Amino acid sequence: MKHTLSILLQNEAGALARVAGLFAARHVNIDTLTVAPTHEPAMSHLTVVIHGSDATLEQIVRQTGKLVDVISVRSLGLLCDAASLAGEAAYASSRDPADDRVAV
Amino acid sequence: MTAMPQTAAATHAPDCHPLAGRAMSGADVVVQVLVDEGVDVLFGYSGGAILPVYDAVFRYNARHRGADGREPMPLVVPANEQGAGFMASGYARASGKVGVAIVTSGPGATNTVTPVRDAMADSVPLVVICGQVPTSALGSDAFQEAPVSNIMGACAKHVFLVTEAEQLEATLRTAFEIARSGRPGPVVVDIPKNVQNAELRFDGTSRLPIPGYRARLRAVENARLGDDDCASFFAALAQAERPLIYAGGGVIAAGAAPALAAFVDAFGLPVTTTLMGLGGIDTTHPLALHMLGMHGTAYANYAVEDCDCLIALGARFDDRVAGAPGKFAPRARFIAQIDIDPAEIGKVKRVDWQHVGPLAAALERLTRYGRAHGIRPMLQDWHAHVAQLKRDHAMNHDRASPLIQPQAVIEAINRVTQGRAIVSTGVGQHQMWAAQYFDFRAPRQWLTSGSMGTMGFGLPAAIGAQFARPDALVIDIDGDGSIRMNLGEMETVTTYGLPLKVVLLNNGGDGMVRQWQKLYFGQRFSASDKSLRRKDFIKAAEADGFAWARRLDDKAALESTIAEFLAFEGPAFLEVVIDPEAGVYPMVGPGASYAQMVTGDFIASRAAVAKATEAAPVDSMF
Repeated sequence: MKHTLSILLQNEAGALARVAGLFAARHVNIDTLTVAPTHEPAMSHLTVVIHGSDATLEQIVRQTGKLVDVISVRSLGLLCDAASLAGEAAYASSRDPADDRVAV
Repeated sequence: MTAMPQTAAATHAPDCHPLAGRAMSGADVVVQVLVDEGVDVLFGYSGGAILPVYDAVFRYNARHRGADGREPMPLVVPANEQGAGFMASGYARASGKVGVAIVTSGPGATNTVTPVRDAMADSVPLVVICGQVPTSALGSDAFQEAPVSNIMGACAKHVFLVTEAEQLEATLRTAFEIARSGRPGPVVVDIPKNVQNAELRFDGTSRLPIPGYRARLRAVENARLGDDDCASFFAALAQAERPLIYAGGGVIAAGAAPALAAFVDAFGLPVTTTLMGLGGIDTTHPLALHMLGMHGTAYANYAVEDCDCLIALGARFDDRVAGAPGKFAPRARFIAQIDIDPAEIGKVKRVDWQHVGPLAAALERLTRYGRAHGIRPMLQDWHAHVAQLKRDHAMNHDRASPLIQPQAVIEAINRVTQGRAIVSTGVGQHQMWAAQYFDFRAPRQWLTSGSMGTMGFGLPAAIGAQFARPDALVIDIDGDGSIRMNLGEMETVTTYGLPLKVVLLNNGGDGMVRQWQKLYFGQRFSASDKSLRRKDFIKAAEADGFAWARRLDDKAALESTIAEFLAFEGPAFLEVVIDPEAGVYPMVGPGASYAQMVTGDFIASRAAVAKATEAAPVDSMF
């Protein structure tokens, strides 16, 4: 089952690598990953699509929530849930068109 | 918050550091933050990229030398940076304070990867400061350059690469905050050499904004059990006839041992602890069942089999405890879990009741609530059953053998130390024998590499612990395989005149590997036999300056030798030639249930007890 995660991340050296590394170390395969700026320059918005069981999703969300640079992490449910994705994108960024995210 | 130097604090407002506004080099900033954080010893090995910090430490110690000639922040130099990391870890485990290691770039940093990962796996607070090549050379394959941020990012609780000198002070202060808060862990600070040499202005208070971490931490730290939570907990407990506490290392990390003892006494709940939780409750307490798990006591494991209610406190159902999660505590109708880490709740085993928050506060709240509501579970039958388990399945070993049994060595030491010594170990059979046969009367007496299982941990950890507790009796129980891994630190013991006691249980090989090869690989002892190795450990110890170094192979001399060994005032080394065939029992095989536990030839299994008592049931309950 595919899951979409929305992560707000502090722009620190190596922060993206730590998120990606966590998924790799915990044996969770990333299907797609996009990184976008937000209205707050010190913060980036990551959208990660993974596949796995609900237990896998729950554990990776909780582990991601332990990374120091992570400001917030949320599971958005299915990839095709365009409405929630668009809402999330609008929340995280004032200028990125939501359509770009759905096309990922 | 930061501790002010005693002399100046009184005359300044609490939010203003006496050195605020002072011009300093980056290296001096590093040392001042260490001082403010209460660091009283450093462990580390020098090198090109960390020279400015080492110079600042030297100058600080020279400037603040005590009347007795003592340095306020001595820098202890190991033989290898891995030793420094484990010394810092031993210091942290024995004291509860943050251990600090300072190493150079490249190999200095990579040699600390193992202790950093080890500290992460066992939730030990460390700050590891690494020198790094100058920012202008980063990524150029410079001499002694390693991608420390990438490497450590996968191993540590957090890693900082300080690329802006102005951020150095706030970064280092934040590193301590992260290391000791929430679920503790190691934080690595990678500092390029030009940042150490930068001219900075000290501000005394700055921290980095880490809004996500602090918000989550605040939520967890402030979480308290409500009346409804307490009521549902005690409602479930009232239904239980055989409740059991399963306490982990979180009890010790949280400083919750007194709260646990009060909770146990208030409601009469038997307790078993994990390897990491040893000392979380006095193991001589009548309701204490010592350790559970793969090599736990038979009576603890049978109690887990029998319990109908399991209360997990700062424990995470890891695979050495719950090798078969589905079969773990199979009769438990109610499982409760309290932990500081939300990711551990229900990770392995579904739980019926949970609380994420500080353990001591939670246990105190439950105890208060239970007392106020007059709750006193009627557990006489269960207590009798537990006492019977302890009698029927007591730990035992081959007492008739002419060869010295390793368990007898631990028992003999324990008769002298009475559960009051600080004990460190390597990893393998000797580690399990020490865990099983020592008493631990209090927390922070048992220093072992639990999760990572790092051979070579024992000797450097004992060194660090002796610095944390200079007046305590610190004993390293080691194996011939494990001690070889960091044998260079023998010289560190004598260099610093530490009164450490090193016990080498020599069975001529990697005993735990042999045990598995015996059980699962048709007795093919691939690469684990070391009986032909020629090292004379006594000569080695003497060469490293041990004035007391002896080999014991006569069983009759065991008690007298150990008495003399422990009574020696300085560093002492005792090699005991043990029965190479001695095994670690009980044993729950990997992936097996506790019902399938093998107890060996000297501990009665349940089947054996049932046979011996014929048809008469041991206990009316079963």
